[in-house]
Amino acid sequence: MRWQEAPLLPLSAAFALGILTGPWAATAPARILAAGGFLLALGACALALRCDRAAAATLPALAVVLGALRGATGPLPADHIARVALAPVVNVEGRLAEEPVRWAPDRTRLILDVDAFLDGDDRRPASGRLQVTLYGETAVVGEGQRVAADLRLSRPRGFRNPGAFDYPAFLRRDGILLVGTGRAESLVPLTPDEPPRPVRVKRWAAATIGAHLPETSAALLAGLILGEKTGLPREADEAFRRAGVYHILAVSGFNVALLASSVFFVSAALGAPRRTTAVAAGVALVGFALVVGGQASVLRATVMGLLLLAATLLDRKSQLMNALALAALLLLAWRPGDLWDPGFQLSFAATAGIIYLTPVITGWLEGWGWPGWLATAVAVSVAAQAAVTPVMLAHFNQLSLVGIAANLVVVPLAAAGTTLGMLALLVALASTVAADVFFQALWLALLALRTAVWGAAAVPAAMVHLPAPGWAATLAWCGALVLVPALGARRWVRAGAAACLAAALALCIWPWVRPGDGRLRVTFLDVGQGDAVLVELPEGPRLLVDGGPAGARRLDVGERVLAPFLWNRPAARVDVVAVSHSDPDHSGGLRAVLTRFRVGELWENGRWSPGSEDTLRAAERSGACRRTLVAGQRMWLGSAVVTVLNPDGTQSLDEPPPMGENEESLVLRLDWRGFSLLLTGDLGRSGEERVLASRAPVRALALKTGHHGSRFSSTDEFLAAARAAVAVISVGARNPFRHPAPEALARLEAAGARIYRTDRDGAVILETDGATLWITRWASGAVERLDLDPERA
Amino acid sequence: MTYPRPQLKLLLVLAAVFLAGLGVREWRAGFPDAAERLERFDREDPPPPIPPAPRPRAAPRWAAAHPEPAPASAVQSPRTRATAPPPAPVADPRPLDLNRASAEEISRLPGVGPSLARRIVEERDRRGRFETSDNLRGILGMGPKKLAALLPLVTVGE
Repeated sequence: MRWQEAPLLPLSAAFALGILTGPWAATAPARILAAGGFLLALGACALALRCDRAAAATLPALAVVLGALRGATGPLPADHIARVALAPVVNVEGRLAEEPVRWAPDRTRLILDVDAFLDGDDRRPASGRLQVTLYGETAVVGEGQRVAADLRLSRPRGFRNPGAFDYPAFLRRDGILLVGTGRAESLVPLTPDEPPRPVRVKRWAAATIGAHLPETSAALLAGLILGEKTGLPREADEAFRRAGVYHILAVSGFNVALLASSVFFVSAALGAPRRTTAVAAGVALVGFALVVGGQASVLRATVMGLLLLAATLLDRKSQLMNALALAALLLLAWRPGDLWDPGFQLSFAATAGIIYLTPVITGWLEGWGWPGWLATAVAVSVAAQAAVTPVMLAHFNQLSLVGIAANLVVVPLAAAGTTLGMLALLVALASTVAADVFFQALWLALLALRTAVWGAAAVPAAMVHLPAPGWAATLAWCGALVLVPALGARRWVRAGAAACLAAALALCIWPWVRPGDGRLRVTFLDVGQGDAVLVELPEGPRLLVDGGPAGARRLDVGERVLAPFLWNRPAARVDVVAVSHSDPDHSGGLRAVLTRFRVGELWENGRWSPGSEDTLRAAERSGACRRTLVAGQRMWLGSAVVTVLNPDGTQSLDEPPPMGENEESLVLRLDWRGFSLLLTGDLGRSGEERVLASRAPVRALALKTGHHGSRFSSTDEFLAAARAAVAVISVGARNPFRHPAPEALARLEAAGARIYRTDRDGAVILETDGATLWITRWASGAVERLDLDPERA
Repeated sequence: MTYPRPQLKLLLVLAAVFLAGLGVREWRAGFPDAAERLERFDREDPPPPIPPAPRPRAAPRWAAAHPEPAPASAVQSPRTRATAPPPAPVADPRPLDLNRASAEEISRLPGVGPSLARRIVEERDRRGRFETSDNLRGILGMGPKKLAALLPLVTVGE
């Protein structure tokens, strides 16, 4: 590819760069405008002086300015729902911006464009967009419908941990500044459910697919054709990720190309003229894009497809890279926030990689005597994989090792499935019986596809998890890829590419081999209402105590918080996982940890209650050595000693504990140099009395407060014996149990402990070298220092 | 019969699809169970539910005030590394009747995990009932040592 053939490429890159500076530009819009005016004047002068090169040079600079202005979010309008003072529960009216998503049997998510709310008895107009979660069976509502509901509104909150996904920023880019929750019964439709025509087509298609195919196959076909992934079972979803073929479940250039080529194929068979065919294909593409919705990958593919068709109509040679740049420019001008969207990044990176690298790699492979079709297929797969690797690592920490090979098999099968599926839907318009025959044939294709994906995912180490690369590593990798087509030209190009590649690899390997700083690190992760504490010894061993909440109807904290946190450390192994007791807010997230990491030992109290089946099965399959602990046991963990203080082993494991499961929590004590830590799980009053009566060593520098600061834990006697200087409460904001209790907080204060709370401080990190303790509140970044008095320790 | 080549291809593909579809429909109608199994080949069964424990009666207030002291014998030296064996589960003195026991009860025997217990129950279902304890031999995961350890602990009832 010659760079002169893609004149829009530098402009769209400059525009994207401008959007990146948007948050900063928002502070000084006047200056940015002035700079734009100055650049424009400069360009005009240069043009008047017939200095065309200088005039052209001002263009990218102008694009940066425009991008900055587009990316800067202006002040909110005065009637924006986020700016008005509201009652705790407010009746909000609005229009549904999207089809509702039912992500659990009794959880529905709506995107609501607010137009009014009730302030006392008067109805006041308002604007803004809300993301609403409704609990309970929701009435059937659809896109475009106006509804009213009683909502409790709040600022969105993410889990504030090191290297974590910034959920509020993610919502803000979609224009959502507030989230609401409410009962599904309070949802009142104000207008009948009359969605726009594309939504009706989409609903009809989903219903038709569901009527003709069994469950899993129907969910897969809905993903292939409509990009609807909500129905896909978890293990199938996971298999597609592991096999590195998840992209076929997103609607993208793949579907658009299939649709267009089907139109061309049929037209050729019917003998239609080329221009008529191009117009028909264009109409089909636009209709398809309207039906499947406005994800970045759909829009990119449609814009590029239409440009190529237009080139056919106008008898012009089409330049793919330029079409891609134009698509990026249009999309970013329309929705600048998409620049941060993984879908946008993956779609453009993969397409750019395929356009830029495929010809070169195909040339190499054909030079080695490969047949042409195989060389092209492999080259496309390799090019796309190389281009999306940094994006996949940055967002998902995933690198599929079987992806290149799996795509060779899966993509043709998916192509057959998608084409047949569209054909079957077309036939279903005319006759249900005939369509059923097509759907039965399709079932075979879908089964073959699932078998291929399942086989690829079953390969050991099909997917590896690596820490997110930094900017430097990403840039070095991109530099190496850009130099690839010019490799044969000059010697310095080869040296440069090798240097870039080496730099990228070295930067990726560095976190794994970085020498330790000799400190013990204890991280109380922000997991909402639940516990998760990671202890990292300076020699390397890691102890994870509890894994935060997960379950059928809530967010899996293990997948979303713990696993990315551990991958970014980087860590592939957790030496010991301890589960204090099997309540879902302690054991739930451990399912993901036990499945995704190598776990050496699992320490438990020997009791598993209903609700923890998933974790128990993961524990059985993990290969971890399971140990049921009782009070008095002491173990080395690196250079630290872990002592078990509870349960005392007097209760038979076959009978339910008389005081409740919480009192049988595993209580662990960790001693390392001058530092001591007491982790009490959900221990309550009677458990604390039992531990005190056993004369166990409870005196500790740092205490994980029992049962999220419940008023039935942390008795005066226990706190007096522990004499903790630091007390950490692992608790979720606005939890229904009203933890932490004011009484418990008062007792902790009276005992002289400094209190840290994960609901206000985000992750709380204790670091110590044995003589000094540094305590970090991650949300605010504040660091406190505490000298460890040798007398105390 | 002169079809242009593109039309011929299209028609042949359509015919093939139609034939395949008809065949699959016949097969699915004839063997619905096999079709169902095939459809679910990559699905996992949900894990067996853990039965809820009966709710304990409210303990008398004095029970919490006088907890029994912890057994002092459990204290080990910190030098015993993390490889110390876990405490043996409390054994019931009566032998377990393999023909009556549930998988859960079997899994409490020493050296028998939930999956081996499930295989034992499957073997029992396959045979109808165990004639002697020796019938355990040959179950996957039941080695001679484990069997010898189990024999005194189990019995077979009528």
